[in-house]
Amino acid sequence: MSFNRSIKARSRLALAIPLGLFALAAQPALAQDTLVVDANFQLKTADPARAFEPTASLVLHPVYETLVTFEGSDVTRVVPLLANVPEISEDVKTFTFTLNPEATFADGSPVEVSDVVFSLERARDLKGSPSYLMRGVSVAAGEAPGTIVLTTEAPDPALPFKLTNLALSILDAETLQANGGTATPEDGAERFLAETSIGSGPYTLTKFDTSSEVILEANESYWGEAPAYDRIVVRNVNSNAQQMNVARGASQIALNLRPDQVGSISDKVTVISGPAADMGFLFMNGNPEVSELSVNPDLREAVRYGIDYAGIIDFIGEGAVQPAGIIPTMIEGALPTEQVPTRDLERAKAALARSGLSDPTLTISYAADLAKYGIAFADIAAKIQSDLADVGITVELNPESVQANLDNYRGGTLEMSVQWWGGTPHPSNSLPFTSGKLVGLRAGWAEGGSPELEELASRAEVASDADERVALYRDWQTKLNEVGPFVPLFQPPVTLVGSTEIAPLEYNPMWTVDLSDVRKASE
Amino acid sequence: MMSPLKSGWYRLPGLLRYALQRLGMGAVLCVGVTFVSFALTQVVPGDPVTANLGERAAADPEIVALYRERYGLDKPLPAQYARYLTRLLQGDLGISQQTHRPVATDLATYMSATLELAIVAMVLAMAAGMALGIVAAVWRDGWPDQVIRVVSLAGVSVPTFWLALVCLYLFFFKFNLSPGVGRLGPGTPAPEALTGLYTLDAALRGQWGLLREALSYIALPALVLATYTTGIVTRFTRAAMLDSLGHDYVRAARAKGLPAHTVILRHALRPALAAIITVSGMAFGRMLAGAVLVESVYSWPGLGLYAYRSALTLDLQAIMGVSLIIAVIYILVNLAVDILYAVIDPRIRY
Repeated sequence: MSFNRSIKARSRLALAIPLGLFALAAQPALAQDTLVVDANFQLKTADPARAFEPTASLVLHPVYETLVTFEGSDVTRVVPLLANVPEISEDVKTFTFTLNPEATFADGSPVEVSDVVFSLERARDLKGSPSYLMRGVSVAAGEAPGTIVLTTEAPDPALPFKLTNLALSILDAETLQANGGTATPEDGAERFLAETSIGSGPYTLTKFDTSSEVILEANESYWGEAPAYDRIVVRNVNSNAQQMNVARGASQIALNLRPDQVGSISDKVTVISGPAADMGFLFMNGNPEVSELSVNPDLREAVRYGIDYAGIIDFIGEGAVQPAGIIPTMIEGALPTEQVPTRDLERAKAALARSGLSDPTLTISYAADLAKYGIAFADIAAKIQSDLADVGITVELNPESVQANLDNYRGGTLEMSVQWWGGTPHPSNSLPFTSGKLVGLRAGWAEGGSPELEELASRAEVASDADERVALYRDWQTKLNEVGPFVPLFQPPVTLVGSTEIAPLEYNPMWTVDLSDVRKASE
Repeated sequence: MMSPLKSGWYRLPGLLRYALQRLGMGAVLCVGVTFVSFALTQVVPGDPVTANLGERAAADPEIVALYRERYGLDKPLPAQYARYLTRLLQGDLGISQQTHRPVATDLATYMSATLELAIVAMVLAMAAGMALGIVAAVWRDGWPDQVIRVVSLAGVSVPTFWLALVCLYLFFFKFNLSPGVGRLGPGTPAPEALTGLYTLDAALRGQWGLLREALSYIALPALVLATYTTGIVTRFTRAAMLDSLGHDYVRAARAKGLPAHTVILRHALRPALAAIITVSGMAFGRMLAGAVLVESVYSWPGLGLYAYRSALTLDLQAIMGVSLIIAVIYILVNLAVDILYAVIDPRIRY
């Protein structure tokens, strides 16, 4: 029947449209020397002095250089980059750097003292998220040519470590100033820096899109060792697609795979797995106005020994570790891992009995819509609830939005909570856990909460001798574990997955992977 | 006596008058949307300062004060809203706290990506849905009808997020029929923007290789996004066609010996179009809302992802900008649907 034929023909034509689109599908050819990296973007700005998100450190580290840096994954000592390792005065307040005369920006102009002074002052005076790194630090040209002197208000042995941060990168001051750059909060150079780069690193920025991709091209006139790839494309890709891309060779590096995602493709890729330098911790509020329960030292002990730490680490997955103290394991001053607390139900129950509390109920608050490194805070809270039920402590779960949870946490109003801490890989980064300091106050632990701990903290902060410093930080953590409201729970695992085309990767807590240092497997 | 303005107004064609009236009402509605979205962002617990500044910076009163001043958060709420409206009238939607760029620039970028995806998906859904619906109606209760009914039911039932993942796994990972995620290959420069729609811009500039690449990347997410709408359009088309086919004028047309395709496509389909257009207008709105899931799986840098990130960071200006643009699209799509009624049905006059 002609009717049927006609309708069939038209319907086939309509159905052919989607099929025709597939016929177009083919893998576009990539330039041979392009490194494709997949990541979950947390990216706002291409201005190093404003950048404080993990993806910014990843993509801008190959573009901008700092005075000193870390080598590979070793974050226990700084090494020269644009300048030498500084000469430090006896009072640990004056740091003198000498610039490497070989160092040049991508346009060929030399890196000069004026660039350093302006860049560091701008990072300090923009009043952005990273400005705290330079709080109380003054910068000036030294008497000798090519030298810069940084002076701190108080002794600060951590300063060279802070100077490895992307935010303290050195930019071409003249070009920056010509494009709206000032060392004030009114600085207007951010848009300029999203379109071009004025750094001295092995790559230059050619595309910066905070939602889709960042493209770096090799700096032809780089003053150091030339990188292996002509171009790097860092794409914003969710973890499921990352898994497929790296297994199929559509990308060379996947940065956000969970351990369970890696297992199914482990024969096609190389996997580096280890602990991150961030810390997941529990606290019980020390302010009796917030809770009369969580201030009880015996109840705290019951909680501390009631938690199944090994179970939490198993549950999080391969690469996670349990720290013995609040300083992450790979950082100078960390407590030896043999000292990690273990679950002791007898001791926990005895402590609960001593507390005089019968069937206590604590409320644990957490960010329900937040997962870091693939770890959902809700899962950790549920595990703690289950563990403490064995001791006889009831834990009520209080899921909150991440913003509400952060507000309440920073307001010091949470009775019990799972939180997160990270930052500069230096032991002083953990000192805010002292009573009266930033994190201590959030846990309701006011100044004077532990004078002995505060004294240890103030001595550790200024200790310039390495052995003395390590000893002081260890004593400080031991005391913190004894009297503090905090329970260090875990360092999350970092899983770096690379295709077989590239040499094994190295994890660095500051920039995840040094993309300029990625080599081909054949080299 | 009628004023010249009033008489001029009544001299305009009815349809144009109607469209202008609706646009005027739409503008009022948009102001209402800005008020509601502003009020809601204030009710939601959480402080943008907390969401956007680092731990240490948020503890520094000087930095916090500067941040509040920079984004106008230091003003009383009525003043903040009045300032927003004043700037809106000048085409300024404010600065996004998450991207540090003008919200208008962000919306232009992300909206074009979402619109491109939604338009291609809509074309696919309309073409496939109408074809399947017609076939199902013509072969009522036959095997094609049975198969199409099951398929369309599956189309409206299957979760979009799950379907997106499965399709990516099969067509990209297993069978290499799709190039993967994103709008273009890694590092491929986008065509110089005319409309922001890569396929259209590449075609307008004669960049055929780029057009082919853009089409190959959009095919899979568009098909996934089209699935639900295809199911809906199929079911509505079938129902509307069955209704039309039962009318006397269709039987009369057949009795006159008109070719079957003429009877179906001219006499039966045309009256059925009103219902199909109605559902298509609604489906397009739903498609925009549902795009966030597909955008997430296929790393498609569209409005859905922008809205999601804005909500997470309490980026008030961006949230209001997204609300406004979605409202504008809904208003325009509904207006277009109402105008189309008049085009396809001569009985409808405005």
